[in-house]
Order: sequence, then C-alpha cells, then structure tokens
Amino acid sequence: MSASQSAVRSRAEAVQVSRTFDWMILFTLFCAVLGGYHIHYMLTGGDWDFWTDWKDRRLWVTVAPIVSITFPAAVQACLWWRYKLPLGATLSVLALMLGEWINRYMNFWGWTYFPVNICFPSNLIPGALVLDVVLLLGNSMTLTAVVGGMAYGLLFYPGNWPIIAPLHVPVEYNGMMMTLADLQGYHYVRTGTPEYIRMVEKGTLRTFGKDVAPVSAFFSAFVSIIIYFLWHFFGRWFSKTDFISDDAT
Amino acid sequence: MKIIKDKVAKLSFVALLITMTAAMFYAPTASAHGEKSQAAFMRMRTIHWFDLNWSKEEVAINDTMTISGKFLVFAGWPETVDKPEVSFLNVGIPGPVFIRAGSWIGGQLVPRSVSLELGEVYEFKVLLKARRPGDWHVHSMMNVKGGGPIIGPGKWVTITGSMSDFVNPVTTLTGQTINLENYSLDNVYFWHALWYAIGLAWMVYWVRKPLFVPRHIAVSSGKGETLITPTDKKAGLIVGVGTLVLVAASMASTNEKYPVTTPLQAGLLRGMKTYQMPEATVAVKVDDATYRVPGRAMQMTLTITNNGDSPVRLGEFNTAGVRFLDPAVHVDETGYPDDLLAEEGLSVSDNSPLAPGESRTVEVTASDAAWEVYRLADLIYDPDSRFAGLLFFWDANGNRQLVTVDAPLIPTFI
Repeated sequence: MSASQSAVRSRAEAVQVSRTFDWMILFTLFCAVLGGYHIHYMLTGGDWDFWTDWKDRRLWVTVAPIVSITFPAAVQACLWWRYKLPLGATLSVLALMLGEWINRYMNFWGWTYFPVNICFPSNLIPGALVLDVVLLLGNSMTLTAVVGGMAYGLLFYPGNWPIIAPLHVPVEYNGMMMTLADLQGYHYVRTGTPEYIRMVEKGTLRTFGKDVAPVSAFFSAFVSIIIYFLWHFFGRWFSKTDFISDDAT
Repeated sequence: MKIIKDKVAKLSFVALLITMTAAMFYAPTASAHGEKSQAAFMRMRTIHWFDLNWSKEEVAINDTMTISGKFLVFAGWPETVDKPEVSFLNVGIPGPVFIRAGSWIGGQLVPRSVSLELGEVYEFKVLLKARRPGDWHVHSMMNVKGGGPIIGPGKWVTITGSMSDFVNPVTTLTGQTINLENYSLDNVYFWHALWYAIGLAWMVYWVRKPLFVPRHIAVSSGKGETLITPTDKKAGLIVGVGTLVLVAASMASTNEKYPVTTPLQAGLLRGMKTYQMPEATVAVKVDDATYRVPGRAMQMTLTITNNGDSPVRLGEFNTAGVRFLDPAVHVDETGYPDDLLAEEGLSVSDNSPLAPGESRTVEVTASDAAWEVYRLADLIYDPDSRFAGLLFFWDANGNRQLVTVDAPLIPTFI
C-alpha cells in the first residue's frame, strides 16, 4: 500500500475507524483535562474546595467560579470552533469532579481518614450545563461569555446550597456558637491548616448584612465573564493546527 | 552485539519492575511530624512548653485524654519569625486520629486564633477523643501566623478498638442530635450523583453522534451550521431550563428544610488570661556558653544571685522540650517522654544551696544524646546562633522558680 492510498477499504470501515478515533480522542481529552484542570483548580481554589469550614458566603462564592470557569472556556472554544460540539464546559467539569472525588475519597478519607462530609468538592455542574446550553442556542462566544459566564457565577451558590446548608445549622459548643462546618474543622485536626489560615467572612461587604452571598455571587459572575474571555482565547490558541502543513489538512 | 544489548535492556527492565514491586511490600507507617527537622532556634527561642502532662498512654476508641501544661512565649522571640500576634493552639498528630473535643488557654475555649504576648506564661489544655486505632505520637503544638507550626514535645499514645465504633454526637441549636462523623453524607452523595448523572446525560446526547473527524470536515468546509439540528436546540433548551428549575427548586426546598442556618464563625481572640508564675528572686547572668560538638554537651558559665530569703539549687535546664535534670535536686515523676528526658543530664560545678544574698559563678553542663537525636546541635548552623531555655531552681521546701536564659552560643570542635 502506498502512502497515497486510503487506510480503509470501504465506507463502513471508514465510519468504524472514525468512531474508534472518536472514543480514543474523547478518552484522552477527558483524562488530559482531568489532570490539568484538577491541578489548576487545587492550586487556585484549594482549601476553599477542600473543606466545609472554608465554604463561606463571601470568598468561596467569589473565588470558586472565577478560578473554575477557566478550563470550561478553553475547552468550549476548541470544541465549538473546530467541531461545533457544545459540551466543552460539561466535559471539563465532569472530568474535574471525577478527579476530585477520586482524590477526596482515596486520599482525604482513604489515607488520612477525614470524613467525606468535611472534604467533598464543590458542585460546578449546573453552571457548566448552562454555559454549554447558551453556546448551543446562541452560537456566539461573546454571548456565552456574557450570559453564560454571568450564569456560571450566579448559579454556583444556589447549586451548592442544598449540599452545604445542613452543615450551616448552628450549634452551641462549650459556650460558643458555631456552625456544624466550623465544628468539623475544629474537631478533625489538621496540623498544617490552622484556623487563622482560613480566608472566610472577610471583606468590606458588611453593609449587606446577611444578604452578602448574592452580592458576592454577582461580583464573581462579572469577573467570570472576563476570565471566560481570557481563557477562551487560550483555548483557541491551543487548538490551532499551525504545526500541520496546509497540504496535509 | 545487538542481541546482547537487547538482552541487557530486557533484563534491566525486568529488574526495574521487580525492584518497584518489592518496594511496594515495604511501606512503613509515617508516625512522626518532622519535629526534629524544625530549625533548632525555632524550638529553643519561641514557645517553651513545660509542666506537660499526657493523661493517658493507652486509650480506647471514643474515650478521651488530655494534654495539659504551660507554655512561655519567649521574650527573646527571634526576628526571623513573625510575632505570635495571630496564633492557634493545635496538636501535632497524624491527621484526625483523635478529634479535638476541646482546647483551652487560661480556661477559655480557643476554637479560633488567639493573640499571645511575649514574655507571658499561659496555661493550656487540649481534650482529645480517640478515633483511629494505632500508636500515635501526640504533640502539643502552636501555629503562629508568619512563623509556621511550632511543635512541642510528643509522647506515644496507643488507641485501641475499632474505628467503625467511633461516634461523634452533637446536639444542634435546633434540638437535633446528630453524629458528625457521617452527618449529611447521604445528602452529599445524592446531590453530587444527581448532577453528575445530568451532566453525563448531556455528554451521552452528543457523543452518540459521530464526533471529531466528520464534524471537523464539515466545519472546515463551511458547513458547520448544519451540524446543529433543531432537535439539538430543543434538547439544549430543556437542559438549560431544567437546570435553572432544579437549582431554584432545590434551593427553595433546602431553605424550607433548614430554616435556621448561620454563617461560618471566624475571628481573633485577644486578651487571653496569662498564668502568673511565682516571682523569681534568682537572677542569672550568662557569662559564656559553648557547645562541644564531639561531647554532645552544652556548657554555660552562669553567675547566679539569690535575692530571695531561702537557699536554692539549680535542678533543671529545659530547652526545646528536652529536660536536663540534676537528680540530686529534682526527679521527674510525671511520665515525661524518655527520649526527651535526660534524668542525669545536668551537672553543676557547685550545686550546693545558694544562700540568700549570695552570688556564685558556676559551670553548668547539659549533656545528652538528645542534642544530636533532636538535632538541637544544628543550632550552630543557624543564622542567629543563640540558645535559650528555662532554668528551674528549687528551695528545700520544694518551691520552684523559673528563670529564662538567652545568650550567644559558641561551638567548639575539639
């Protein structure tokens, strides 16, 4: 067989090879995003995502969407620009959360015995689904950045509230009031994570009183829009095929 | 030649696999916390722990024990370490093998960070509840913001029983008694599984169609718009609206189920109650101090003046948790860890009772293998080669006085 001849002998075989190729790329992409996104998110979101006593109304709500909209934006750019596939955000977040769950269960619980109910990951899936849907329906990266990015930031807190609310029930403990999440952080000893390292409930949003979470979410949503644009361009740049000569494409 | 090379390569690969496999069978438990690696000057010149007591050496699952004692926040705190203005009383254990059921400084619960004053003594207690069986090295510990963890002396404690028996009951302010060990775990799994399933369904909807090659060809040839069908848009609309409805509905139902919730609690506790030690009537001046490397011994020339009204003798030198005792003056009966206790490690050239008003210059030697074992001898490699510690004097009635010393240390190598 010469180099100019096809590797397949029939249309059915071509379809079969194409499908095999689909699964191989999808699997590789899923694993690559899982690794890269996981490292990125652990380095930037880190403790806010690790521990329930870091999941507060201000900084967790602000930081988590901003640092997690990155890979979804980049992968969306690649898959939409090249393949018109509106699943980049969902694929990224599913990969991340699979990696996170493996990490939390195998490492946090399996090796160091922190109960899973103190170290479960944040839920990012609602925002990712809406990002993909806005891209599908709007067919516009700009619209996805503005509307999808905004939704991604705004949906984060309500998407997680059913999971963390039970841990915000107050308890009186030796004469002090704290939430069950605070008590978890106090009970389950972390020698390398002293209480003062926690960045929670800090900031200058005091005039909003107890309604600070929506304000934080809006701020996070605005910044998410900017980060979406930035990482969208990273995604486009990384999905270029400049290394392939024109006559080969 | 090629055959030989191939054989060598194959055998090398097999040897590598055997080595890696064999290594997996040797995985000793990591029990300590690197306390010996912490810079000697950090342990000698920051927090001085003393009068420590571990209430038990063996404890069953769900039973409790305490670590109690006192610590002096050293007045000669090193410049290279941030002052303990934001600190946290911790315990050095390998993860949550115990839960910290309570911790107090000066009788006040300290679940939050505290501000400590230089030169003051504080009394502390940590209540621990056994959770995971095994032999664990249990340390007192103070985390200092900008300074890192300052680990105190540690003692081996054995936890017996089965971790599956561990319970952590807590009664909330809404009157519900829960087991914090697994509280709300089903809820966590349920919501994560539900959303993951929805995400997977969205993925399956798209990956059941041909993906990369045909779509890339279509996009490259300008027919990308034909790849999105009206059915796709309807499916997207359903998923989008469904997501918003589910988020809103789940939030509303959660608020109904948990009408009383509060934000996380945080803040700094100031004005911690200090412990008043008896006023020291003994004055100590360090004339010189040397560390003799071959002999694992520190020698100090001290001029001691007794300004009190009863004769005193030097009985103990305590630095970095290592206690050097003169058994003729003081014998430890608290069960202090053996490796940190040099029961006959302190010798004084003239340790006869120092009469009131008398001043005497003596040679004091603190010698023990602990200098090497606990890497205190590494002090000579620190950028600020000063040592510090606590001297304890006793009178005939057993009254004790604490005096701190802080001076340059000169190493000798012959």
